[in-house]
Parts: sequence; C-alpha cells; structure tokens
Amino acid sequence: MFRREFLKTTGAAAMAAGTLAAPRLSLAADSKVLRFVPQANLANLDPIWTTQYVVRNGSLLIWDTLFGVNDQLQPQPQMVESYESTPDFKVWTFKLRPGLKFHDGEPVLSKDVVASMTRWMARDSTMGVPIKKRLDALEVVDDRTFRVKLNQSYPRMPFALGKSSTPCLFIMPERIAATDPFKQITEYVGSGPMRFKRDEWVPGAKAIFEKFDGYVPRPEKANWLSGGKRISFDRIEWQIIPDAATAAGALQAGEVDWVETPSNDLIPVLKQNSKIAVDIADPLGNIGSFRINHLHPPFNDVRVRRAVQMALSQEDYMGAVVGSDETLWKTLPGFFTPDTPLYTEAGGAPLTGKRDYAGAKKLLAEAGYKDEPIILLVATDVAITKAQGDVTADLLKRIGMNVQYQALDWGTVGQRRASKEPPDKGGWHIFHTWHAGADCVNPAPYTAIDSSGPTAWFGWPKSDAVQEKIAAWYSAPDLAAEKAIIADLNKAAMEHVVYIPTGWFKGYQAWRTNLSGITKAPFPLFWDVTKA
Amino acid sequence: MGGDPKGRAPLRGSRGRRLLVEHTMLAYAARRILATIPVVLLVALFVFSLLYLAPGDPAAIIAGDQATPADVERIRASLGLDRPFLVRFGDWFFNVIQGDLGTSIFTNLPVSHMIAQRIGPTLSLMTFTLILSLSTAIPMGVVAAWKHGSWIDRAVMMTAVFGFSTPVFVIGYLLAYIFALRLDWLPVQGFTPIDQGLWPFIRNLILPAVALGLIYMALIARITRAAMLDVLSQDYVRTAKAKGLGQGGILFIHALKNAAVPIATIVGIGFAALIGGAVVTESVFAIPGLGRLTVDAILRRDYPVIQGVVLLFSFVYVLVNLAVDLLYTVFDPRIRY
Repeated sequence: MFRREFLKTTGAAAMAAGTLAAPRLSLAADSKVLRFVPQANLANLDPIWTTQYVVRNGSLLIWDTLFGVNDQLQPQPQMVESYESTPDFKVWTFKLRPGLKFHDGEPVLSKDVVASMTRWMARDSTMGVPIKKRLDALEVVDDRTFRVKLNQSYPRMPFALGKSSTPCLFIMPERIAATDPFKQITEYVGSGPMRFKRDEWVPGAKAIFEKFDGYVPRPEKANWLSGGKRISFDRIEWQIIPDAATAAGALQAGEVDWVETPSNDLIPVLKQNSKIAVDIADPLGNIGSFRINHLHPPFNDVRVRRAVQMALSQEDYMGAVVGSDETLWKTLPGFFTPDTPLYTEAGGAPLTGKRDYAGAKKLLAEAGYKDEPIILLVATDVAITKAQGDVTADLLKRIGMNVQYQALDWGTVGQRRASKEPPDKGGWHIFHTWHAGADCVNPAPYTAIDSSGPTAWFGWPKSDAVQEKIAAWYSAPDLAAEKAIIADLNKAAMEHVVYIPTGWFKGYQAWRTNLSGITKAPFPLFWDVTKA
Repeated sequence: MGGDPKGRAPLRGSRGRRLLVEHTMLAYAARRILATIPVVLLVALFVFSLLYLAPGDPAAIIAGDQATPADVERIRASLGLDRPFLVRFGDWFFNVIQGDLGTSIFTNLPVSHMIAQRIGPTLSLMTFTLILSLSTAIPMGVVAAWKHGSWIDRAVMMTAVFGFSTPVFVIGYLLAYIFALRLDWLPVQGFTPIDQGLWPFIRNLILPAVALGLIYMALIARITRAAMLDVLSQDYVRTAKAKGLGQGGILFIHALKNAAVPIATIVGIGFAALIGGAVVTESVFAIPGLGRLTVDAILRRDYPVIQGVVLLFSFVYVLVNLAVDLLYTVFDPRIRY
C-alpha cells in the first residue's frame, strides 16, 4: 500500500513538474538567438562617458558611425553617403545616407551628428580634442548635410570620425547627445542594427539586443566596422560569466554559443571538443606595457630607465602572460603593432639580444641610484598585470634595485597611478597594463606614446623629439612619408624610454561549430554570423 | 541571540496563559525589530566610513585605461566624489532614511531596482540550500548520535570534516565537472526563474545548493550529533525505551525536540556563512544574485550599491537571529521573553 502511494505521489510530482516546465528560450536550439559571453560586464552603455572596450563593443550594435574602419584600418563611409574636402583639408562637407532612422522611428539628421560630434570632441583626447582645437565651425547645412571648418589642415578627418579606438564617434539623437560629456546618458537610442532591451537588462548578468527592422545596411559586404551590417539573429543575448572555467564549461555544454575571451589555460580542453572551434580573436593583439613614472627619482633620469630596458627580457614577460603557446606572442622591439603598415623596429636594439644585467647595474651606479625603494603597483586581480608585475619584481631585484611590490586591485591601481606625488608620499614608480594593438597602429589613437609631459598619459613622459615626430605624422602626405616619420618616432621613443613594451601577444576566442561567419577583429563582429 | 529565560507566574486557565504568552512574544518581537534600527544605522556609518577610507577610484574605472588624468578628475567631480566626507555621508543618510538607497555610479539605475533584480536568485538559492542542508544534516546527526562509535557515526563525521575543510569553489567546480560536463544531467551555470517552470528552476539550483550547503550541512550535522548525544543520555529517554516506544519515535519526536535549541542557534549563526558562501557560489555558477552584485560593486567601487547591499544583509541577519530567538519558545516552552 505504501509503495503504491509513493509511486502515485512521485509520478504526480513528476508530471506536475513536466507541466510546469515551460520552454526556456535560452536553452532552446534557436537559430535566431545568439548567446554570447563578452570579455567583461556591461555595466553601462555610454560609449563617450566611459572608454571601456566592452561598452564600445555593445555600442557598436546600438549606434552607427559616420565612417567605419575595414580590416586594413582604412576608414570607409558608413552613415555617410558622400564627402569632400578642400585641397588644404580645412573644410570638410559630409552628406548622410537617405533613410537612416533611430530606434524611436525618428530620422537621423545633421543636427544629431553635430550634437554627437560636439560631445565626442570634448572627451576624445586623441583625435576629438585636436579637432576641437582646430575648429572654426561645425554647422548644419541641411537635414542630411553638415560641414566642419578648421583653421588648420587635418587630412585624417575620415579616420578620426570612424576610428575604432575608444571613445568612438557614435551618432546619437540630439536630445541624448546634448548630455554633459562627463555625465552618463539615460537613454540608449541609436540607429544601429540592434536595439537595446533596457527592460531586460540585468547589469552584471545579462544584456539583450533585439534586431532593429528599420536599419538600412549599406549594399557592400561587411568588412570589420564598414559595409552592410546584416544581422541574422532576432536576439543577441550577452551573458556575463565572470569565471573563466564556468564560461568554458557553459560553452562545452552548449549553454552559450560564443565566448569572446576564453582563458588560455583552458584552450587545450576546448580544442579537444569537436563541437567547439578555437581561433585567434584579434589579429592586432595587444602590447604589454611597463609604465614608468618620469616625474620622480630615480626614473626621471633616462639612464635608470635605460638600465631597466637593457635588462628586460620580453620572453620572460610573454611566457608569464601567455604561457607556453608560442604562436600567441612575439618579442616587440618597437612601439607599433606588428603586421600593420607603419610597423617598424628602427631603434629597437635595446630590446633585442642578450640581456645585460651587468651593464644595467653599471648604468644604475652611474646614475647615482642608492637603493631607494621602487614602488611597483601590481593589480593582482587582473591576470595580465599580475604576471607582468611578478616578472618585473624579479627583474628589478636582479639588477640590484630595492623593489617594493604593492599588491592591489585594479580599482586601486587606477586611482594610485593618477597621483603625481612622490612615490614615498602615495605616488608610484612603475605599474603594468597593456594596449590594444588597434590603438597602436599610428600615433593618433596612441595615448601611451604621447610625450607631452604634464598632459601626457600616466607617467607623464616629456620628450620634444617624440612630440615633433607625432606632429609631423599628422601632416604626412603619403604612406612612404608616414613610414619614415614613424621610424624616427620609434627611435626617439626608444631612446627616451617613454615606456617599455613587454612584448606583443594575442588571445583566443571560442565558439560552437554550429556558428559560422565569425571574423578575427579587435572587437566581436555580429554581422554575417549565422547559426545552424 | 536569545535573552535569558524568564519564569512567569502561571495564570488561571490555559487560554489566559496563551494570550499572555502571545502578547509578551509580540512585544518582544516589536522591541527587537525596533532595536534593529540603530544596529543597521551603525552598520551604515561603519560601511560608509570604510569605503571612504578604502583606496580605489570609480572615476578611474569609468574613464578607462586610455583616459587622461584630467578626464578622471572631471568624472570624479561630476559624481560628487570630491566632496567632503560629512557632506557625502549626510546626503546619503538623508536619502536612506527616506527609503532611497541612491543610484549606482556605473549603471545609473536605482540601487533598490538593482537589488530587486538580484534578490530572487539569492533567496531561491539560500532557501533551497537551507531545505537541502536541514533535511540532510539533521537526520545524519541524529543517526550518528544513535549509532555513536559505529562506522555510520565515523562516516557522518568524516563527511562533516570534508564539508568543513573543502572550499565552496572547489566543490562547485567538481560538481559542475561531474554532473554537468561528464554526465550531462544538470546545467553548468545560470538561473531560471520559477515562472519559467519548476523543473528548470530546480535543475539550475541543485549543484550550487549542494556546493553552498556542504559546509552548512557539516556544521548542523556535528551540532545535531553533539546535542543528541547529550539528550540520549537523559533519564526520560531511558524511560521511553523502557515503556516500549519505537526507536524512530524516541529519536525524532522526543529527543530531537529537546536537542533543537542548540541546532536552531547554529542554523542562525550559520546563516552568515551562507551569505558569505553565496558570494562565491554565485560567481562559480554564474547566478545573477546579490552575491555577484556585491563582488562586482566592490571591484568597481560602486559605493551606493555596496552600501545598499550591506544594509540589506545586515537587516536580514538581524531578522534571522530574531526568528531563531522566537523559535526557542516553540522548541522549549519553558523559555519566555
């Protein structure tokens, strides 16, 4: 009797569970839904207010750009239908494509572009601010035409308006773009191929994008950020999975379709799975950075910077950052991204050949270094900075420096590095980071090479020779001239030791093999991706 | 925790006694709830001060790695982070007493909205863990005490030691590897709300609840065993045996009820461990709960979110302890407040 009652009860419970179990969209094998694990949490969606790459990547779905770079890093018209400039590159006139619409149904007009450009110019120190400094007028000609008048030549206007480094110029409705550039926008209305489902957004957990039927793609095939951005999904679900092992597990179990930055440690496991494809994510990779504070002793003496440079082994750094997979990294005796048109190794000798510890010690003695503590800030919660910091601590000890390794989290390093105080009063000597290869293809988006002193990036290097070369590049008439200038720039930056590149490294991306059309790029590209 | 038991003069009639007991219980509960207010306010001040003194800068994180120092400064000013401590605390406190926990620095969403979004998964996980732990650990402790010194006792204690000594994340990864990746029985990660189906809801919670509950289970099983050992040596248990009562009746009706006070105490204390464990479990199993919200907020220095979540946790913890105190009177009618 008891047995029968038990069976009846459990049977009824099982049936009830079956009845209650509604189909779950994210588990369904739905070819119209893409489940993507981004590199980080999408905590907000204002690509001007913040320069985080994950925000830029999400914004590329929501907002469109006037120009977009292709895989040769050449700007191509995107929202722009046609454009022209005067021969001196001082007056630029642009005409928008017809039929462009925002997600709220309003047409994209020149006034929206002017407002968006104004906000962008206030925040983009690499290209926006220089344009603003040269600006005579930014004016609406008609609903689809706008004009930029400058008091100096600026041949790189299309690149500036379409560059992929953050902050990019995204075109927003005028009412949104009118927001103070140092305050966050409150509406996410764009004219890109997907609209943001704010009502389903759970920051730190998921972000949902829904296809925008009113989007008008260009007729050309998509090529990175240019061409027709045709999306085959009705819905793209960004699932935030902070733990790398969990993300890899979810990919193996088919719970997600695509992981943007799987951990290198787990790549061998993923490669063994026949349902998972693994490939390089960003062909432009990243440049590791040994960032030095030029304001305070002993690193305000170029001999001390050179001492470290001659002893630094990029192999050691790359081994610690990337591991044993040598296809993922190479040494970099220069500051610019390998395999791009302006790449050069001119002046890179101090970073090649046998490392010279004895020479470094001698140079330190000449410079009068007397065992002062060297404050090394290490963000231990970020694997790449932690690995670099560990190698640096060892390197400095080898050359006889008294290193003080300060283990912090990235939030604290972000605060400390802004301090210009002496290192013994809350300042610093060294911290580590890395620069996206896409930002190091030429001097325009490359904040880390700026050597303007007080207004330069953290570390505040000052070198007139470097600055002269950067200024010359802006006026270079052709690629040959650019190459010659960049070679000189590389040499000058290496001599001054603006910072020390610790090597060039790449990372993987991984996806389920039922996806096709995934492109190698510095950002995840969702157009032309399909799911079987 | 519980106040000292106070003897009360017996009233005439059982109804009168019951009414008096209920009245004093309600008054006690009301007093305790009122007493939570200064506790929560002190926690608020403490957390605010701690965050103020802690290093880190949300403006630098917002501005991103390529931002200039001047940009970082302007963002800091726009967020009001350059104002003096007392001004910031005063503003925040004034809003909190009006029920406004503020707005997240990063998402620009109200903190109360973010907590509301995340509380469901955490409550589900904790409730499921609690049910799983209590329904497993108490019988384990009871049986271990009953079979004191036997291999069953040793097995239960070994399980408890394992539960104590193994970190939650290790258990989590192990469970996910075996039951999700190898056997494909359960999902690796995620959370499904109950309105999308009972089984999908439970499916997603099983592994995290086991991982989170193991330490809790170990704690309760050990305390249950110890309390039961004490109770089982009492005269009335021997009398019950002599009267021919069944083993099950003696253990689970008579003995367990008398051993319940220390068990209830440890359930309450263990709740704090559960909150701490939820932070790790939610990260390992990608559950969008309050634990992950807290970790994200701390890493980003999202002060209003940290303050809001800590306030909530401290309030809940005080309430749980109140509930435990009140439960004492259920298990032991001699206890009065």
